[in-house]
Parts: sequence; C-alpha cells; structure tokens
Amino acid sequence: MKLPLVEDELASCVSCGLCLPHCPTFRVTGEERYSPRGRIEAIRQVHVGNQPADASFVDMMDTCLQCRGCETACPSGVPFGHLMEAARQGLNEQTRYQPWYRRVGYRTLAYHRALVIGSRALALVQRSGLVPSRRLGLPDRLPLRVPALRPQTVASGAARVWLHTGCVMDAWQRDVHAAALAVIGATGTAVTLPERIHGAGCCGALATHAGLVGVARAQAEATMRSFPGEDPVLVDSAGCGAQLKDLGHLLGTDEASHFSTRVRDIHEWIAEHLDRLPDGVGPRRTVSVAVQDPCHLRHVQRAHLSVRRVLAPYLDLVELDDEGLCCGAGGAYSVLQPELAGDIRTRKLESIARSGATLVASANPGCSLHLAAAGLTVRHPVQLLAEALGLVDG
Amino acid sequence: MDGTLVAELSASLSPDRVHNDHLEQVLYGRDASLMRGDAGVVCFPLTTAEVQACVRAALRHDRAIVPRGSGTGLAGGAVPLEQPLLIVTTKMTGIEVDLDNRVVWVQPGVINLDLTRHLKPLGFHFAPDPSSQQSCSLGGNVANNSGGPHCLAYGVTSAHVVAIEVVLPNGELAVLGGLGADPAGVDLRGAFVGSEGCMGIATRIAVRLTPNPPAVATLLADFVEPAQAAAAVSAIIAAGVVPAAIEMMDQRITQAVEAFVGAGYPTDAGAIVLVEVDGLPGGVAFETEKVREVCMAQGARSVRVAADEAERMLLWKGRKTAFGAVARVKPNYYLHDTVVPRTKLLDVLRQVYAIADRHDLIVMNVFHAGDGNLHPLLVFDAREPGILDRVHAAGEEIVRASLEAGGVLSGEHGIGLEKQPFMALQFTQPDLDAQARLRDAFDPDGRCNPAKVLPAGSRCGDLAHLDAHHRERLLADGVWV
Amino acid sequence: MSAGPGPLAPLPDRVVRDPVLLAFADEVGGVDAGPVAVEGGRTQWELGGRSEPGTRLVRAPAGVVAFEPAEMTIQVRAGTTLDELDAALEPAGQRVALQGLPRAATVGGVLCVGLSGPTRLGHGHIRETLLQTRYVSSEGLLVTAGGPTVKNVTGFDLCRVLVGSYGTLGLLAEVTLRTRPRPQATAWLAGPADPADLFDRLYRPMSLLWDGETVWLHLEGYPEDVAVQTAIALEAGLQPMAGPPPLPTGRHSVEPGVLRRFRPDRAQRSGFVAEFGVGVVHGEWPGPTQGTPDASVVTLNRRLKQLFDPTGRLNPGRDPLAPSNGKADHR
Ligand SMILES: Cc1cc2nc3c(=O)[nH]c(=O)nc-3n(C[C@H](O)[C@H](O)[C@H](O)COP(=O)(O)OP(=O)(O)OC[C@H]3O[C@@H](n4cnc5c(N)ncnc54)[C@H](O)[C@@H]3O)c2cc1C
Ligand SMILES: Cc1cc2nc3c(=O)[nH]c(=O)nc-3n(C[C@H](O)[C@H](O)[C@H](O)COP(=O)(O)OP(=O)(O)OC[C@H]3O[C@@H](n4cnc5c(N)ncnc54)[C@H](O)[C@@H]3O)c2cc1C
Ligand code: SF4
Ligand code: SF4
Ligand code: SF4
Repeated sequence: MKLPLVEDELASCVSCGLCLPHCPTFRVTGEERYSPRGRIEAIRQVHVGNQPADASFVDMMDTCLQCRGCETACPSGVPFGHLMEAARQGLNEQTRYQPWYRRVGYRTLAYHRALVIGSRALALVQRSGLVPSRRLGLPDRLPLRVPALRPQTVASGAARVWLHTGCVMDAWQRDVHAAALAVIGATGTAVTLPERIHGAGCCGALATHAGLVGVARAQAEATMRSFPGEDPVLVDSAGCGAQLKDLGHLLGTDEASHFSTRVRDIHEWIAEHLDRLPDGVGPRRTVSVAVQDPCHLRHVQRAHLSVRRVLAPYLDLVELDDEGLCCGAGGAYSVLQPELAGDIRTRKLESIARSGATLVASANPGCSLHLAAAGLTVRHPVQLLAEALGLVDG
Repeated sequence: MDGTLVAELSASLSPDRVHNDHLEQVLYGRDASLMRGDAGVVCFPLTTAEVQACVRAALRHDRAIVPRGSGTGLAGGAVPLEQPLLIVTTKMTGIEVDLDNRVVWVQPGVINLDLTRHLKPLGFHFAPDPSSQQSCSLGGNVANNSGGPHCLAYGVTSAHVVAIEVVLPNGELAVLGGLGADPAGVDLRGAFVGSEGCMGIATRIAVRLTPNPPAVATLLADFVEPAQAAAAVSAIIAAGVVPAAIEMMDQRITQAVEAFVGAGYPTDAGAIVLVEVDGLPGGVAFETEKVREVCMAQGARSVRVAADEAERMLLWKGRKTAFGAVARVKPNYYLHDTVVPRTKLLDVLRQVYAIADRHDLIVMNVFHAGDGNLHPLLVFDAREPGILDRVHAAGEEIVRASLEAGGVLSGEHGIGLEKQPFMALQFTQPDLDAQARLRDAFDPDGRCNPAKVLPAGSRCGDLAHLDAHHRERLLADGVWV
Repeated sequence: MSAGPGPLAPLPDRVVRDPVLLAFADEVGGVDAGPVAVEGGRTQWELGGRSEPGTRLVRAPAGVVAFEPAEMTIQVRAGTTLDELDAALEPAGQRVALQGLPRAATVGGVLCVGLSGPTRLGHGHIRETLLQTRYVSSEGLLVTAGGPTVKNVTGFDLCRVLVGSYGTLGLLAEVTLRTRPRPQATAWLAGPADPADLFDRLYRPMSLLWDGETVWLHLEGYPEDVAVQTAIALEAGLQPMAGPPPLPTGRHSVEPGVLRRFRPDRAQRSGFVAEFGVGVVHGEWPGPTQGTPDASVVTLNRRLKQLFDPTGRLNPGRDPLAPSNGKADHR
C-alpha cells in the first residue's frame, strides 16, 4: 500500500537505534514494534508492498504518541512526525482506519460554541459522578462556568500581539488564557483575541495527528484567517503552537509558511520581554517547581528552555531526570491507549517524585490534564508567573 | 509449524511475551548493520529461569537460538539466520548495586547509559561508553566486548566485567568468573566476553564500579590538515600522557555533526581532535597543558578547553552521534572498525581517502584515534544501482590496508556476519581452528548464534592425527591445501 | 580435511616466520612427541599440581622482538625474564604492569600462572596486559591468539583462557604486552587505620594492604596528586614508609567485600596481609573463603582441555582448577 510520504525522508533512517530510549512506548515495553525504528521499518515494508497494512501494522501506528521524542534524538534528522502523519493519512484514505465517530469528533473541535457547551455538559455529568474522570484523563473538575476573557488596557499606540485561544484549551483552561493576558498586558503590550465568526477555533492539530488531512487543512486554514495582519501570534498551548508553526508543511502555501513565521510560543515571547516585567510580589514560593516539558514544546518547537528563562527569576525550578520523555498524554492518546499511557505516566511520576517537587509546571493542556488525573498539582507556567507577579490570585 | 513451540514458550513465559507475527519477524530481522535475516519466534523473557525455559524449548524443537539486546550492533551479530528462536533481553532491566564489593549486578537488557545514570548519585560509573551508549545493552556490550572513547585509559568491557551468569546452549546455568580475587580454573569469563552470542546467553552480569574522576578537562584542537591531527595523536601518547580519550573527526563528518548538535565545532578545520583527561586535579592540569602544547607544536590552529560541564557534554554529544549524522549527507553507511598501530595512523588514513576516491565514494572518518581504532564511514545511497559492489570493494581494500599496516580487523564492533570473510586474512587456519575449539567447549552443537564470527571451514577436523608433513605445510602457509 | 575458510588467504605477515619460534615449535613437536611442559624461572613450579614424571621440559625462547615506545606495546618471547623486560622498557620511561615479582620469573610463566601481584588494585589484573600471544598447540602448530594492537575484538578471545592455564592448553612462545608510562612520583605510607574508610576517601590508590590492624598504602601519579592523597593518609594516621611489608607465604582468594566486614580479633591479626579492594589474602586467612566452582564450570574447563589437548600431552599433572589456596607463595 503506497503511503503519501516523501521517500527520501523514509530513506534517511539508518536504523542505528539511537532513538530507542527516547521513545516512551519503547521505554515501557522494550519492544521493537513500539519503537521509532520499528515503526519506520514497518512503514517502509508496507510502503514498498512487502507487508499488508494489517491489524498488527495499525496497532504499531496507533500506539505512537506522536510526541516526536525520537526526532530530537535522531542524529540523522529523520522527520518522524511527517512519516507517521503520512502513514495515518494513508490508512485513512485507503482503509476504514478512523471510525466515523472519531472523524466527527475531530470535526467538532472546530465548533467552538458546541465545545464550550459540551464541556459544560460534561462538567455537570462529572459532578453527578457518572463518568470516571481519572480513567478518561479528564481534569478532576471541569469548569462549570467559563469566565469571559478581557484583555488589559494599555497605552494607545503600544505594540500589539494576537493570543491564540484554541478549542479545548479555551473551553477547559480559560484561566490560563486569563493569566496570559495579564502577563502580556504587564509588559505594556496590547492583545487582540481572534474572532470566532470564521468558524475558527481549532488549529487542526488533533486532526493532523490522526491523519485526517482534509479536516486538518480546513481547520488550520480557518484559524490562520482569524489572525489577519502582521502582529505576532502568541500561543499558550504547546500543541497548538507546534501545529501553527508547521502550517507551511500542512497547507503547502507561501501564505501559510509566512503565517508560521509570526507564530511564537508565549514563553519565547515573554523571555524576550522579561525586562519589561515588574519584580515579583510577596514572598517567593517555598516549594520547588518541576518543569515538565510538553513534547510539542521540547521536541517539536524546541522552545522548552524559554519556560525556564521565564520562570527562573521568580521560582525555584528543578529539572526532571528523564530527558523530556513524554508524559503519555499525547492528545487523545491517553483515552485511546489507556494502558500504555498509564505506564508511561508512571515513569514520569517516578521522575517527578525523585525531583522532590510538589508542584509541576506544564505548558500544554493535554499534559496538565493527564498529570492532574494522577493527583499531581499542575499549573501552566504563565499562571505561575502571573501569580508571582501578583497579577492574579494564586 | 511453530505452533507447539509457541505454545510451550507461552506457557513458560506468558503469551504476550512470545511473538511470531510476520511483521515482527521482519523488524527483528536486522540490527544497525546492513545485514538482514529472518526471525522465527521472538521472545521476551524477564528472568534467568525464563531464558533457560526458552533455550530448553529451542533444544526440544531443534531450533537455533540468537540472543539480542538493543540491536545496535554494527556487524550483524544479532541478525537471525534461518528463523531461529530470538531471545530479546530488553525487558530484563534489573540493577543491584553491591557497594561492599564495588560491583553492580545487572540484567543484560539494562541500557549502558541508564546504568551510569543510576550509579551517578553513588559517585561511580560504568567505564565503557560506546557511542551508542544511550541505547545499547550491557548484554550486547559483554557479547561484543564493546569499547568507547574512554576505553583508551580505562580498558574495554572485558576489563570491567567481574562475573557473568550464563545460560549455556544446553540450558544449564554457569557463573563464569566471580567476585572473589582468583576464581578457580581458566578465565572462562574472559572467553565469554566478546563471544558475540555464540557461547550462551548472559543473564546477569557483575561489572566493576569505577569511581567518578574528581576532575575532568575536555579539549578540542583544530587542525588544517588531517595529517597534523594524526601526528598530534601519536605525539600525545609518545609524550607519556595517556588521556582518558582521544577522538578524531575529519572535516566532512565535523560538518555533518555540527548541523545536528551545534557544538561549535570549527567546520572549516581539516580535522578536529577531541581529548579528555581526567583524574586528580594536579594531573589533569598537567596533562591539559601538555596536550595543548603538543597539539600547538603539531600545528593546531587553536585548542579550546570546555569551560563547563554543559560545554563538555555538547562536545561529546557531537562525537557520540556522529554515525547517525552522516545520513544528512547520504542515507546509508558502511563501515569497518579496523585498528592500526598508532604510528601508522596517518599512513593508513591517507590510503583510506585514496581508496574511497578510486571507487568514487564519499568517506568520512570519525574514530577512536588514541587506540588507532578507525571508523571510515563509506556513505552512499543504496538506491543507486551497483553502488553496493563499489562499497564492498572499497571496504575490502580498507581492511587489507589496515592489516598490512600490522593492524587487526575489528577493534570493538565484532565480526558478526558482516566481517566473517575477512577473518581468513588476519588468521591462519590453525588460528581459526583454535578459536573454533574455544567455541565448541561452550556450544558443542553450534546452536547458539550459529554461522557467526568464524567463517565456514574454520575447523580442521583431522588435526588430532596430523602427520609431520602436514604440520610442516600448515606452519609454512597457514592454510590447508 | 576441509578446504580453507573462504576465498581469502592469510596475509603473508600473519604466518609466523620467526625462525626462533619455528625452532621452538619443532622442539615441542607434534602429537607423537610425548608429554611436554615449559620450565620458566621455576618460581611457582609447584602451583597447580605436580608435574607428572616423564614430562619432557623445554624452555621458551627469550628476548625482545620489538619495542616501539610510541605504540606503548612490547613484543617479547615468552622466556624473557621480568628483569630483562624491565631493562628494555626503562629507558623509554615505561613499564609493564607485572610489578613486585621474583625477577627471575619469565613473562610466559607469570601469564600461565595468571596470579596478579599486589598492584592489581591500581593496575588491574595481569591478564589485561596481554594483547597477543603466539603459542605452540598440542599438535605442535604455532597459533596466534589476539592481536598486536592495544584494542582488538577480532574473533574469540583465546588469550583469556591461556592466562592462568599453567600451559595446559598451549605453550607460550611469544607475547605482545601493553606498556604504561612510569609514574612521576610514588609513595608508601603505613599505620593503624580503618582500610575501608581510607579506601573510600582515596582516588584509585595503587595498593592498600591490611593485616587486620595496620594499613599500607601505595600511591603513584603526578607529584601534586600524590601529595594531596598523602595528606589524606597522614590525616588518617598513616606515616611515610619505605615500602610494603613482607608478604607471608600462602595465598587465599576472597570477595573484597569480605575484607570490609571482617573484624579480626587480636589473635587473628598479623598472620595475614590482605590486598584490600581486591580480595587476595597472603598468609593465614582466618576469615571466610571462596566456595568451590559450579559443576558446570568444572565441565567447561574439562571440555576445553579435551578440545585443546586431546592427547593430554601438555604439562600433565597441572590443573588450573586445583585450588591455589595456601599453596602458592611469594618469594
Ligand atoms: C551509532 C552507533 C555507535 C556505536 N558506537 C560504538 C562504540 O563506540 N563502541 C563499540 O564498541 N560499539 C559501538 N557500536 C556498536 C554497538 O552499539 C555495540 O556493539 C553494542 O555493544 C551492541 O549492544 P546491543 O545491545 O545493541 O547488542 P545487539 O546488537 O542486540 O547484539 C550484539 C551481539 O551481542 C549478542 N548479545 C546480545 N545480548 C546478549 C546476551 N545477553 N548474551 C549473549 N549475547 C548477547 C547478540 O547475539 C549479538 O551477537 C555503535 C553502534 C551504533 C549504531
Ligand atoms: C606482580 C605479580 C605478583 C605476584 N605475586 C604472587 C604472589 O604473591 N603469590 C603467588 O603465589 N604468586 C604470585 N604471582 C605469580 C607468580 O609469581 C608467577 O606466576 C611466577 O613467577 C611464574 O614464573 P616462572 O617463570 O617462574 O614460572 P615457573 O614457576 O617456571 O612455571 C609456572 C608454571 O607455568 C608453566 N609455564 C611457564 N612458562 C610457560 C610458557 N612459556 N608456556 C607454557 N607454560 C609455561 C610451567 O610449566 C609451570 O606449570 C605474582 C605474579 C605477578 C605478576
Ligand atoms: S529514526 Fe533516527 S535515531 Fe532512530 S533508528 Fe532511524 S536514524 Fe537512528
Ligand atoms: S513520536 Fe514518540 S511515541 Fe512515536 S515513535 Fe516517536 S518517540 Fe515513539
Ligand atoms: S491544541 Fe488541540 S485543542 Fe487546542 S486548538 Fe489546537 S487542536 Fe484544538
């Protein structure tokens, strides 16, 4: 079965195995089939027609978190993310790989209102005790009321930035956006929020990962259009940032490539404006904070160091000793592959325990939910920053 | 056909740790070399007893067994031939530190770097540090007697392994060596180290704890000409300094690596030399100065000393990921790992470049210069028609040039499948026959990783009745005629 | 007889042409030439059992074949004495890690006995010095084991089983050894101290001997480092000394951890000198000792002998499995 991939990219894997320990699914299983090298070999075998795209193959693809830890580890520069997306796209187009309800689900992400309402409904059900949140990896208490977002007023003529509010993030973690607005405002910069009227909302990341290229392209296109002009687009969710920075690849247009150059992870941007932030207020926190690097910040955007740069002046940070191994959240992964996700999370929890930290900073909603579901206190770095600056209550 | 075998194995292990899915057999058909084979049943034991159960099941079904660790071997050692039972150790990852004896017992699947990380808080490490250390297993290290940059001063794996629990090819258990000073009998431990999976399966390994050095300095010297760099390597050793490591990289590989790590390697240098000295602070200061002097005297443009741990790690990361980085130039590589006398380094290096030129191939050199262990990487695109023949022809010439300079075929990667034919260049038939006997002592029926290391025809069956005439001939020619 | 292995033939220099070695091989002779053993310096002649009467004794050839200081390897014939070896290396500021032995002992004898001396803690086991050997097999053929370079994993490692084999698997004719630079400074200190505590505070001492009460410490290295380590030892109560204590007769092997835990009473002290961190005990050892080898290990040793010397003509009477406990002595 020919897969819609670039053969040179496939050929670039020399099967050295250096990526193995950096792959969370290999780490917890020790099996080649759950490793980047194994997955690439399987893709190659299917692509050249030596192997059918059977259940075994689908399982190998489905169990990949798309964390891309293998990419940063790979000295050959194998673009694993592209290969995996192509494999899933091929499966989607040529088999009944993604069931209809998942396809509908991914599409729903574009309908912001529906999502907010749905989330609220889920919050009510949750309080009734009808769904097992922890198993589903949902936050302990989904917010019932979603506070309205109000950008700070700043001096007229000040520089402007956009803040990408996204879909799930906006529904579940609006206080993160609120903290982001407060911090950006504190630098004396004005913020614009995207209009919803274009049907924008979801950047299309989840659909991209699922190989639903059509859905992804439509969502990405709409999102892109909701940020007209040349102002920087700040993103406070690592997954969205990674997606928006790679629109050139997804959409294949110059416009998209140009748009991507405007996209910044919020920490990258704050790190450049640290001198404009006031000193911290109140006593410094006594607990040390473990920085958990969301894969899409560390392995895809490679912007994880900026989180440290932003927090270090205000908090005592500790490093985890697992070299940024994925926490097991992986978008919808924790729901689709609960066993592997659980084992992977256990490794992360052990590493956090060894670090001695009691508070975890994570810049991605998926990771936060997944870790919080294991009973950890997880905050977005921007929230911690806003609290330290006295901009919001801790 | 594997039905009953699988059923028996599933009963002894557990069904989810016995695989014979076709796709999986393909995945386990290769390691990091260019060789390919075919796995039969793939099993993942957790304990010594389970390994014994696997070996016994194979015995009952008259199947060969092949041990496999992380599959980073570069000589095809773990490549399965004719559908053997593949025993994969990656799930055997137990670590038990014995501080009183200054050893650590590990299961074979423990990853080299994980062990060193585990020992770090205790002030120790495991000295052999293959460039693949982030992935390769201790079992693989033992089987290949692996080396690494720091083996120049610390010695290769064999010098660090104290005892090995082995499941022999007949399913029995033996502890080779021991924690005591002088274990009885000949050094079977030493024979097993480097046996490339042909003498049984290591199930527990006791390795020495090496104290972390109190001081370390890493130097990067850059030279316009590779010849100057090679001369500097010899000069350092001749000056009576034995650094912890001396590594060399030529321009092409430096450029490829720099693109991946951004270690600040000078990409316009003809060659760079990475030297590490460690030990007590006085000696480190002395040797740092000495190495700097020697390099400058040999024409180095600059010698930079890593300012801190972060810079040190970055310099090493570049070296350690070098093989992979070649894919940025061409998607495939083929390499030999011959060792030449240090004083012949320059001479052989020149020949290597000439050989590659003659075959119109790109060669990149990155190697353990301190012990003369070359790694000429011939890089190519396997999709190009006819290229493999050229690569192999060039490979053979490189081997010949190295052996003619008084070197050996392999310094650390082992012979496996890939280098078997060249064994007959380095050894006479009585030499090979003696090696075959050593193997036969462990594996009389040739069940464990068959057809590896020794080329077919290594045994001279009738040596026991050798008459005077044949003895003379063998002494004169080194081969049967 | 099978044909040669593959299409390739050994390079000319891999076939031994040294007439001295060929003459030695002829002297040893083929399978029909009867029982034979090498007589070295006879300094450990009784170890490993008594030589069977009627065994013909031969001497391994002696002399330095090649020494290239910049290579840090030396190729010598096995009958070379440690004295001669040292004399060859000294001018280049090098040595081989075979220190503290009877000077009349031969290189071949030392390796065939395979017992390290008291600097093993610092230098490692003597087997690590052996890179390549050419030996005469039971069939009277010259066999090359290992390789001449400092690093080599080509084929199965025959050198390992020859060290400590008492010449029962092959008779060593020539060896290539790894050399090391001589240290710039050395020091000996001694005094009553806790060896475990001292060991943990020092960085890689050359040797640490202990008789249950007194500790002898041997340091080597750069002057500054030796000074720093000496200061640690002085602080622990040691005093400078001229050299090591005389080692009492008798040799035992224990796990190094045993020495850490062993608390000898007054009567038990000073009957022994233990190599701390290694586990060799010279003299009378009052503590627990090493058990006997596994049956499977015994079988492997026997099978190896059977395969290497089917007619049993090499050094009959000697057995590497014979306990060296208590019998070996150091003169
Ligand atoms: C990028 C790269 C860099 C490398 N750098 C170095 C280097 O610097 N130095 C070096 O020495 N090597 C190096 N290697 C080679 C390789 O990593 C080593 O040989 C390593 O020790 C192999 O370990 P493994 O676990 O991957 O073994 P595998 O490849 O799985 O197996 C290797 C051999 O060991 C046998 N084996 C595995 N486990 C056992 C066991 N438990 N018992 C018995 N036999 C067993 C197998 O049968 C096989 O013959 C490098 C490889 C790569 C890809
Ligand atoms: C640093 C050091 C310290 C040591 N300390 C001690 C110690 O404290 N206590 C102790 O008991 N031992 C010790 N030894 C070991 C011992 O001293 C030597 O092994 C001994 O000197 C042997 O040398 P030799 O030439 O006298 O051999 P011999 O006594 O002549 O022979 C010993 C045995 O080896 C065989 N042999 C000799 N040469 C060859 C050959 N070329 N080929 C085949 N077989 C051969 C002989 O047949 C005989 O069986 C130490 C060794 C070293 C290196
Ligand atoms: S993906 Fe990269 S690191 Fe992994 S095996 Fe392939 S080349 Fe090596
Ligand atoms: S993306 Fe993550 S889970 Fe998937 S193969 Fe790479 S490292 Fe493994
Ligand atoms: S991160 Fe996910 S949820 Fe948020 S906007 Fe992007 S795709 Fe939607």
